[in-house]
Amino acid sequence: MNEIRPLSANEGIKIRSNFLRGTIAEGLTIPETGAIADDDQQVTKFHGIYLQDDRDLRAERGRQKMEKAFIFMARMRVPSGILTPAQYLAADKMARERGNGTLRFTTRQTIQFHGILKSNLRPLIQGLHQEMLDTIAACGDVNRNVCAAVVPWLRAGHAAVTKTAEDIANHLLPKSRAWHEIWLGEERVAGGVEEAEPIYGRTYLPRKFKIGVALPPYNDVDAFAQDLSFVAIAEHGKIAGYDVIVGGGMGMTHGERDTYPRAGSIIGFCKPEHVAEVAEMVVTMQRDHGDRSNRKAARLKYTIDRMGLDAFVAGVNARLSVKLENAKGFSFATTGDRLGWSEDETGLHHVTLYIENGRVAGAARDALRDIATLNIGRFIITANQNLTLSDIPAGEKARIAGLLKQHGLDGQPGGLRRNAVACVALPTCGLALAESERFLPSLVTRLEADLAAAGLAEHEITIRMTGCPNGCARPFMSEIGLVGRSPGLYNLYLGGAHDGTRLSKLHAMDVDGDAIVANLKPLFAAYAKEREKNESFGDYVIRAGVVARTDNGLDFHENLSAALTVWPEI
Amino acid sequence: MATGILLPAGAPFAPEQITSLNGVFGKSNGEQRAWLSGFLAGVVAVAGDVARPAAPPKARVPLTVLFGTESGNGEALAQRARRTAAKLGFAVKLADMADTTPAQMAAVPNLMLIASTWGEGDPPQRAVDFYDALLADDAPRFEKTRFAVLSLGDRAYAQFCEIGKRMDDRIAALGGARIVDRVDCDLDFETTAGSWIESTLDRIAKESTETVMAVEDASAGVGDFAAIETWTRATPFVAEIGEHVRLSGSRSISDTRHLEISLEGSGIAYEPGDALGIVPRNDPALVDAVLKAAGLMGEVSLRDALRDRFDITTLTAKQAADHATLTGTVAPAADWVLGRQVIDLLEAAPYKFSPQQLTTLLRPLPPRYYSIASSRKSVGEEAHLLVAGVRYETHGRQRAGVTSIDLNERRKSGDKLDVFLRPNPHFRLPADPSRPMIMIGPGTGVAPFRGFMQEREAIGARGKNWLVFGHRNFMHDFLYQLEWQDWIKEGLLTRLDVAFSRDQPEKRYVQHTLWESRNELLGWVADGAAIYVCGDMAAMAKDVNDMLTTILGKEQLDKIRRDGRYLRDVY
Repeated sequence: MNEIRPLSANEGIKIRSNFLRGTIAEGLTIPETGAIADDDQQVTKFHGIYLQDDRDLRAERGRQKMEKAFIFMARMRVPSGILTPAQYLAADKMARERGNGTLRFTTRQTIQFHGILKSNLRPLIQGLHQEMLDTIAACGDVNRNVCAAVVPWLRAGHAAVTKTAEDIANHLLPKSRAWHEIWLGEERVAGGVEEAEPIYGRTYLPRKFKIGVALPPYNDVDAFAQDLSFVAIAEHGKIAGYDVIVGGGMGMTHGERDTYPRAGSIIGFCKPEHVAEVAEMVVTMQRDHGDRSNRKAARLKYTIDRMGLDAFVAGVNARLSVKLENAKGFSFATTGDRLGWSEDETGLHHVTLYIENGRVAGAARDALRDIATLNIGRFIITANQNLTLSDIPAGEKARIAGLLKQHGLDGQPGGLRRNAVACVALPTCGLALAESERFLPSLVTRLEADLAAAGLAEHEITIRMTGCPNGCARPFMSEIGLVGRSPGLYNLYLGGAHDGTRLSKLHAMDVDGDAIVANLKPLFAAYAKEREKNESFGDYVIRAGVVARTDNGLDFHENLSAALTVWPEI
Repeated sequence: MATGILLPAGAPFAPEQITSLNGVFGKSNGEQRAWLSGFLAGVVAVAGDVARPAAPPKARVPLTVLFGTESGNGEALAQRARRTAAKLGFAVKLADMADTTPAQMAAVPNLMLIASTWGEGDPPQRAVDFYDALLADDAPRFEKTRFAVLSLGDRAYAQFCEIGKRMDDRIAALGGARIVDRVDCDLDFETTAGSWIESTLDRIAKESTETVMAVEDASAGVGDFAAIETWTRATPFVAEIGEHVRLSGSRSISDTRHLEISLEGSGIAYEPGDALGIVPRNDPALVDAVLKAAGLMGEVSLRDALRDRFDITTLTAKQAADHATLTGTVAPAADWVLGRQVIDLLEAAPYKFSPQQLTTLLRPLPPRYYSIASSRKSVGEEAHLLVAGVRYETHGRQRAGVTSIDLNERRKSGDKLDVFLRPNPHFRLPADPSRPMIMIGPGTGVAPFRGFMQEREAIGARGKNWLVFGHRNFMHDFLYQLEWQDWIKEGLLTRLDVAFSRDQPEKRYVQHTLWESRNELLGWVADGAAIYVCGDMAAMAKDVNDMLTTILGKEQLDKIRRDGRYLRDVY
């Protein structure tokens, strides 16, 4: 029996948007409001732009006879996170002149600008475009920014994965000229060729779509958290092809058991020359089979679990010119970044800088701008929200190192902090239920004391926090995950794999900072005493029976400890 | 008692007189009472119960009272002179420099001229044409004219009473004969101006040759005299502050408040465009500092006087000179007072004052005027004010606006406030409700336009409305944003342009939006639109005027100004 369900509201908006135009251009010229029309708020996402408001100011605005403090967030499209120094300078300039003065490196290896007034959107985007940057499809129901491993010390491997990421990004880029018309003022060709989106169609995808390219043993892109990942398989010193992972994804909704995070499934192997085609066919399978009635069930992970993995893979293979081969197999070691200096086989140097929360502001911002002004090498944003300065000639290394030292950018934080990732959350993200970026650093400071007491100060443990269960910082793949529930309260998840191959499990509900510390302190002490050689914290808590192991997203809400078995009414 | 009016028990008559009069009034009809009131007014005028010169003129002497005004003080004084003269039987006419020419004035035999100086020695903007024509080479001769000049100014400015001085000299040079010597008034002009009016009228009456006086039109002045002057700076209405909210966002560098002042029971019938006079109180902390610097202990009565009656901030070169004389020191250079205040003078040359010496040195505390941001048709017996707190630093000391900080920070909802009305008859809505309006009001200059919009909404005016607003930051300084949005939704506010100066690297001001919208502006003016400008005079109004000149051309701008379609309320 076929149940007929109405399409979600967003589907109608996409259809009416005329290939992502909507009434955005008109809305930008309306002076009395800092906002844009409701439907346009959905359409601008496809242009990398969100309407937000400063939630710190909500309470006062009504009294002041002013509307909400509307601001926009704009996110660039930077495949593999690679920028030239000139591009970085353009981003820095736009952040100062048109945003809130900060740059925010994200878990998708791009830069977000926050606090942009409507009147500054066009100038900002035009300023970026002068350096051949854009924000196309950085959000929205399309393939988003494509991540790639940041491993410049493996010169050939890094070049290969970034090339692959760029090919995918180009292949899946929307064809609509709407972005150019709205933001750059490009003339629309009247009576021209009928516009078409050969891959997406006029309703694009049912939901967002994320792709990463990994190079084992490094899993900085969190390959199992992406909708689609390509994991490089090296044979005889070169990349023979990629194992393909599908159906990873973090987002869920508190209190809705049929929403859950899912670790991706390995479905096969493809040659480098087939990557773009594989990406297209996975995308079109999702385009055709994804749920367009319920956005909470629309991600690829639900499509796969609904169809069954085998049926899904069969569907993909049926669309491919060359079927997937059997997966070759690989193993990851870590999801973190390798901080500090490295050198590749050609003698070029690279340095990865720890950027707390990826937020670049104040003196650090000025220092990075000064370094960019030297026009040396490349600026690469990592999926851990850090920054790698790559391709530094040996003769320049001392100068760069001196500047980094001078500005305190060469610091090596402890094992927990360098594996800490937080999403933006309050005050700008409209979804946030609790603080994240503004809270995690101080929480880590408290936990560091307990780790130090347990002799684990330099021990690598991943900790990730998000302000809501959509999970931008991928908390459900972390050894310690904290997900906002309400102001000051978080759900604590444990047992994710250190290498990012396994989900975590709910350990405690609605805990505040004190309770988080109280929960973790004895676990750190026990782990320090009882751990086996090379056993990670995430593996230990499972072996010790603190939480049940979670390999399968469908089990995410199962096997909870007795105290948590009654699902709360929310 | 079914009928008519009755005298209240408190009337200034003996009880038996009240009873007798009630016996008459109670039975009188409207016509009888009207006759009686006219009769009594005439008796009052003839008997001269009101202030009068020693000898009334023997004749119906022709007299013209000419004024040029910016703030309205000059006009108010001219009205007062007209009323007084009318009661005394002069055939008096009132003339505004905005509507007349030197040639017309050179034809009148007796001319009382009240000249205001504005800003740095400028004539009131509406008097510019008259002033320029008077000083031009081809100015008419004034040999048939006897004249007297009262000049209004503010000693805090270097070019004190400059315009009055120049006009006085010029008319004399053109052959005019002075009736009395020119009198220059500072902010505390009331008494000085009153005696100038009396002495001038007295002198004209004595010297004039005309005969026969008449009193028929005398009563005309009585009614409006009473209505206008019920509440004055000296006898203000004690109003209660209702809503008192900060409109500026918490991160704004401005602190602009919205105050709702209850006028209930005052009978103050303001029109949109009018201003409310505020009698402020000085900062008690500054009062203490001044007393300390003057070597005084500050008994309660003196402290209260300094708080409520004396200007303890503004410093003039004259005060510095007086202070030097008193203290036996050398007066500082004239420009030393720039940016300095009384406290700086007292601290610069310490001296132990007597209370009398201190109050003699100080000028009276002037009231401040705020454009009313409401319409009675919309808000009833209230006047809304938009007050930007003024704080700045000069010579290493933090300064605070006397009235703005008093209103914003020391007064709270429920507190009392001394107020009176100052009509602004030259800044009114178009008489024709279908005439389009362009309102240019950045910052608190937007205040009267909120009143205009409320009025037009209340009366169902069909004219198009275009607001040009500006401030520093869109997010934190968009005053009354939700109200403008509502009026746009209703279709009442036809067009809105905004300019926020600090939102982007380049400074953007209201004149820039005018330039961008110049085609629309030309169209609106062609359709008969009236242009209103309110706000900062030194920078904004000048820049806007320059831009309007560029867009419309000087000729057209002059024409619409003469037609009363280019009106400014700037300060």
